[in-house]
Order: sequence, then structure tokens, then C-alpha cells
Amino acid sequence: MKLTLTSVYRPHCFPTLLNSSSFISLCRPFCTSALSSVPTGVKPQVPLFLRPPIYSTKLCDLKKWHDWAKGLAFSVGSTFLHSDNGPDSSLLCRELKWLMEDAVVGHHSLGVKDDGRVEMRVDMEELYCLWRQRILERRPFQYVVGCEHWRDFVLSVQEGVLIPRPETELVVDFVSGVVSENEDLKKGAWADLGTGSGALAIGIGGVLASGGGRVIATDLSPVAVAVAAYNVQRYCLQDNIELREGSWFEPLKDMEGRLAGLVSNPPYIPSKDISGLQAEVGRHEPRVSLDGGIDGMDALLHLCDGAALMLKPGGFFAFETNGKQQCRALVDYMENNRSGSFCNLEIRADFAGIQRFVIGFHQ
Amino acid sequence: MAHMFLFKPTLSLSLRLNKTSISLPHRSFRHSHPPFPFLSSTHPISLPSASDSNNRTHIRCSSNHTSTAVEGSEKSFVHLTDVELMRQCEMDTFKASGPGGQHRNKRESAVRIKHLPTGVIAQASEDRSQHKNRASALNRLRSLIALKVRKTVDLEAYSPPRELLQILPPKSSIRGSDCGPQIGPNNPKFALGMQALLDLFFAVEGSVSEAAKYLGLSTGALSRIILSDDSLRKEVNNLRASKGMKPLK
Repeated sequence: MKLTLTSVYRPHCFPTLLNSSSFISLCRPFCTSALSSVPTGVKPQVPLFLRPPIYSTKLCDLKKWHDWAKGLAFSVGSTFLHSDNGPDSSLLCRELKWLMEDAVVGHHSLGVKDDGRVEMRVDMEELYCLWRQRILERRPFQYVVGCEHWRDFVLSVQEGVLIPRPETELVVDFVSGVVSENEDLKKGAWADLGTGSGALAIGIGGVLASGGGRVIATDLSPVAVAVAAYNVQRYCLQDNIELREGSWFEPLKDMEGRLAGLVSNPPYIPSKDISGLQAEVGRHEPRVSLDGGIDGMDALLHLCDGAALMLKPGGFFAFETNGKQQCRALVDYMENNRSGSFCNLEIRADFAGIQRFVIGFHQ
Repeated sequence: MAHMFLFKPTLSLSLRLNKTSISLPHRSFRHSHPPFPFLSSTHPISLPSASDSNNRTHIRCSSNHTSTAVEGSEKSFVHLTDVELMRQCEMDTFKASGPGGQHRNKRESAVRIKHLPTGVIAQASEDRSQHKNRASALNRLRSLIALKVRKTVDLEAYSPPRELLQILPPKSSIRGSDCGPQIGPNNPKFALGMQALLDLFFAVEGSVSEAAKYLGLSTGALSRIILSDDSLRKEVNNLRASKGMKPLK
């Protein structure tokens, strides 16, 4: 299913705040292959594991489903792996176990009633449908169950919102390290731009909560803002995290020169690589949160320029990138085009050893 | 308790930690449900197996039972806080190929931690979150170090350390009432006592009756402690096998 552009998937509209010719390339419409069209006034979906257990099924029927689902997972073998580095049978079986955990209530001894029935958060028909979508449509597992486990959080996600990646968990550690040595930054206002599910804002909000600091999280997608708001509320961080709808720095005009910190995991995949992505990513996740333009650097360069303007002296920033090449290019850009704006620039690797992040401070 | 670690990875494949911070756990809104019985046959996940890790450990009890003391282990590694212990480790994920980041959706949250001074490796992959797997791997590392790293014991002047007394049953004649209730294998503090117990076992060359004397216990009571934990029993039996003794069952 392909839908044309909806109001949700607007092209990047960078603010006029910064007039750099390098951003013109971004002001073009993106095509999207995302599945759902979401009306305005978005109501976020409730993740499977939080839905009420209003269904019940016979244990033998559940087992029948499980055998079928496992068979389907095994039929995949390593086809996905070879075609686009997708999941193989063993990974799919692990996901099947997680799907069971989310869909079925309780332990077998508690969950199975005397009449041999189990309580479910979803009916059997939908359960068949969900697993079919997972395997046949390559719908990401996280969209199937409506959540992703990230750091200590279980975050709600749905179509239209980027699924937070384990690599990004490290950004919270960077921030945690910086504020542990600097009370001033801990008390300040931080921003997470292109927050998506709100993962970074929530991770950082938790770190700052004890010191009185707060996070402003922005996203141009109303779906993302709605989902992020739902997640913020679930972790009772609404006093520390404020959500603003809009593109990058656009909703932050009142914060010029006042931000204590700035983080972002912006779209950074070069446009030419989008078509070759793993199906779960390329077919289902919002292109607007993946595609970083010709060299993947459009949003990153924009963030650099904005950081120079929005951060207060001594303010900290951390950006995630596509890898070594982008890290180097970003550092070069900061040193050459923005000399005097930033100091203590560092490239940090993720846990797989890929140079992933650029961090530093405003002069 | 879950901990947050701050990692400052270097740019090599294995990332060394040289700075850490710790914070309180966040509110957790879910607990995992034990699986259904018919799920237990779920296809195993293809990750490097435990035996793989053992092959990578530098200290092998099977080949060298006596001299596994490690330089600089004045303060027992097992006594270090999570942060201190993590500072001595390097950590990597299993993923080695591909660009990662936004390119990928494979939920490879498996984590491997290597303790550099001893070469002991622990891993965890059972949770959906990499963060939590890191905490589990560290707990596991602590137990593994307790099992694999030996301190020499001076039997002449032997007096069991407090953490060892705490895992003994109250009927032990040398265990004072100030030791509190007996700590069982499910308590994270058991690793500390287990390490001290193994140190003693190596000193008495695997003899249960000898060790029991030092602990004010009957041979039977000490055997029961050893058999209460599978990994402890395995270590003791490895040692006994190397001395030509029968395994405890």
C-alpha cells in the first residue's frame, strides 16, 4: 500500500532563521511509503502490552497459532538475511516469544483458567493477522506490538514514528556525564530536535529531573508529537519535558542563545541508500526521519548552524550520524565554517565500534 | 537495581570504558511474564555460546587449578562496585557488519563484557533492551569472576571472611549471630561468599571434610551448600576431578 503525501509527511521546511544555501536542497517534497495516513488531532495507539485483557482463547487454539507462527518464521530461513540483511528464522522466533509475552496475560499457571482458557490482550484473528504482517509484509516487530524497549523504558511507537535504535541510547550517557560535572547545565533548558517517539527527551528528562532542568522536544510530525506526549506522560515527565510541533529550530525561537544543551538523531541516510534499506526500515519507517539528502548531511549541517545560534556559552551538543565519514565531515564543517563557535569537539563510537556521534561545546 | 553506565568508547572495535556514572533506575511499567510451557522449545538464538566465551577466557580452571591469582587483585574484583568493575571492562555488541544506526532493525541487543585484568567474559541477550542486557551481563561477570579468580589462602592463620560466614547455615559453630540470616544462591551477595569458599577449597585441595573443619560445619552440611548452586558445584567438582577425587552429587 502506498499513500501520497499527507499533511503528516511534510517536506522539511527549514526555518528562515538561517540562510545557508546548503539547505535549499532540503526544501523539496519527500515521497513517503509509510503505511498509515493519520488525521490531525492524532490519537496515539496503545501498545499491545498495555491493552486490557478483554479476550480469551482456548490454550489449544493459542498453541495452534504458535505452531503456525513458528512454521512461518522457519519458512523464512535466511532469505531476508540474504536479500537485505533482514532477520533470519532464529531472530523471528525470538520476536515470536516477545509477541506472546505482550499478547497473553500472565504465567500459564495463573493465566490459564479452570476451563483451559487464557486471557488475551488481542483476539486470535488479530494475532494471526499481526504475525502475517510481520513475516509477509516485513512490518517491523516494534510496530506490530506498538512498543520498543529502549534503555530502561518501554516506549510506544507506531507507523509514522522512527523506532528508537540501541545506538542512540549512548547519547543519554553522554548527557548524564556532562551534567554530572556541571550543575549549571543540569539546571538548564535542553532541546531534543526531531524527537520522534520522545526517546532522547525522556532519557535526558530523567537525567535532568533531579536538578530541575527541562527538555523541549520538537518534531514536525503531529504523529510523533502525539506519540512522544503519550510516552512522556507514561513516565510522568510532563513537568520536565515540553513538546513543540515544528521543524527543527522553528518552534524554539524564544530560546535563542539560551539552550544549555542540544541533542538530535536527525535523518542521516544518503538518499541513494534509501531504496536498498532493510524492508522493515525502508518500507515502513517514515522516510522523513531517515533521508538526510544527497550526502545525508542536510539536517546535520542545519543542526550545526542552529546550535551555534541557540546554545548559550558553554552549552553542550551531541548529534548522531551515519558513521565515520559524516562525523569527520561534521567536525570539519564546524572547525572551518563555524570556527570560533565550538570547542572540545569529539567523535565517539557506538558499541559496534562505528564512529557514530559528534559531541562538543559552544564557546 | 538497574544501573546506567557512561561509556566513553574508543574508536577500536572493542570499546573501553574509562568513565562511568550511575543513576537511580527509572520507573518500570512492565515485568516479563514467564513463558508458556510449550514455548520452551523455542529455537535457540544463534549467539556465541557460553562455551565460546569460556574459550576466550584467559583463566581456565581446568588447566590450572592452583595459580590463578591475578596481579593487582589486592582488592577482590568481586568487591568492586558496578561502576568500578565496569571501568576495568571493555564492552562490545555482537553486531560486526553493516552500517547500523538508522539503517537497521534487527533488535540485536546482545551485549558482551570483557573484564580486562582477568580476561573473564560475560554476555547477556535475553532482554529486549541493550541497556538492561548490560546490567545483566555485569551481574553475570561478577559471578564468573568469583568462580574463576582465586586468591591464595593461608591455612595456618585462616579465618573465614564475613561474606563466607553469611552463606553458611546458622548451625555452623564459628558463625556468630551477628552474621544475619543465611544468604542463599539467589542473593547477589552469594557470589562474594562463593568466591571465598572456593578460595578455601583450593587451599585444602578439594577436600570437603577439610574445608568443613575450617568452617565449623559437618561434611554433609557443607556438601549441601556446594550442591545448592550449579556453578559452584561444577567448579568444586572440576577441582576434585583434577585431584583424582570423586565428584560431589
